[in-house]
Amino acid sequence: MKMSKLGKLLSVMMVVSLLVLAGCGNKNNSASSDAISKIKEHGKLVVGVKFDTKLFGLKDPASGNVEGFDIDISKAIAKHILGDENAIELKEVTSKTRIPMLNNGEIDMIVATMTITEERKKEVDFSDVYFQAGQSLLVKKGSPITGIQDATKDTTILGSKGSTSIKNIKEKVEGIKVLEFDNYQDAFSALKAGKGDALTTDDAILYGMAAQDPGYEVVGEPFTDEPYGIAMQKGNTDVVKAVNDTLAELKANGEYDKIYEKWIGKAPTK
Amino acid sequence: MDFAGAYSPENLKFLLDGLYITLIVAFAAIVLSFILGCVIGVIRYTKVPVLSPIMFVFVELIRNLPLLLLIFFIRFALPEVGIKMGLITAAIAALTIFEAAMIAEIVRGGLASVDKGQIEAARSSGLSSFQTLWHIVLPQGLRRMVPPLVSQFISLLKDTSLAVVISLPELMHNAQIVIGHGYTYTIPTLILVAVIYFTVNFMLSIVSRRLESKSI
Repeated sequence: MKMSKLGKLLSVMMVVSLLVLAGCGNKNNSASSDAISKIKEHGKLVVGVKFDTKLFGLKDPASGNVEGFDIDISKAIAKHILGDENAIELKEVTSKTRIPMLNNGEIDMIVATMTITEERKKEVDFSDVYFQAGQSLLVKKGSPITGIQDATKDTTILGSKGSTSIKNIKEKVEGIKVLEFDNYQDAFSALKAGKGDALTTDDAILYGMAAQDPGYEVVGEPFTDEPYGIAMQKGNTDVVKAVNDTLAELKANGEYDKIYEKWIGKAPTK
Repeated sequence: MDFAGAYSPENLKFLLDGLYITLIVAFAAIVLSFILGCVIGVIRYTKVPVLSPIMFVFVELIRNLPLLLLIFFIRFALPEVGIKMGLITAAIAALTIFEAAMIAEIVRGGLASVDKGQIEAARSSGLSSFQTLWHIVLPQGLRRMVPPLVSQFISLLKDTSLAVVISLPELMHNAQIVIGHGYTYTIPTLILVAVIYFTVNFMLSIVSRRLESKSI
């Protein structure tokens, strides 16, 4: 009898703490079209970026600086809003922490290879697409495969176990041979060992591999649609507008193409 | 596998920076959780009317939750109610609360293992119950607690790597960044990190053996 009382007490405590947690999730700052003046008052744009993703946001152990496509875009936004590209503070986010940190108010925006989805649109506001990612193919330079159109049922594709990219390519090319690996490192090693004709996943990851080994290249147009967006707190329409203006400006003056080429190694596909 | 690239001086220094944070967080959490755990353990052992049941609930609640959930809770839920802290403080707080619950049980078990005859003898020779606890039960109990306590501290040190989920720049986190620089760095970096964790923890075990052999 004693135990069941204690058991009840414990379950009540668990429920209460869960409710507290749930309540926290719902608290959205109902403000604020004056978010931009808050950023100006603060004098610094606080951006959530990845620290461990090659080409997009990667910390350099030697200098301690974080570098990548996402960082250069963030700097351009800081320049647009605050007039100084160095008026910026980069905070590390991961796929799991970025939305809580944004809604906590710890960061002003997320620039971290974040795909725009309907699901996420319920939690945050997205800018226009700032990087058009999609599934693509990585091949050895000089390979007869120059895009998804060259893949036949005799082609062997390498990929990561259980990923949507494997599912996608099986739908695109009927009867294609597939070898699945635990991770992309193993898949890349297998490609180098000649166990397959091409490796498939998001081109953003493939470009990172190609950057590590000049003997390999990404070929063809992306054949799925993974638009990356910059996320802001819901209702911060003025910040969304400022970010979209920055992106339009960068595209108009050619700066976007320069940043793209600097990191991806080729001009963006129009 | 590119050992030379992965073990460049910059990368090694970066990993050592991570180890430094790991050790700071682990050391602070070990000291704090030991103090807190002893207090809770003694309260549980002595069966103080209101306090002991509260501590029972605390211990059962905390040790039956995953540490990862506690880390997330302290990092992301507490700021919502106005309790804000830095990354390192949040990691230390989560580890301290979690490990204190574990240590409290070790302390309570250690105290309970002291022969009842000793307590009776102490009380009948005129010691107060506090004096009995302080001079008779605690010194003997603490010695028996050394091996399980050290095991717990070793777990704690390894558990600091869970704080990678809130981007605490500790050893595992910095290893991931090094790996991010090249797929060929993965295996060399993981091997090195394993060696570092093993070395630090093995030294803890050696200290533990010394303590045990002294106390017998």
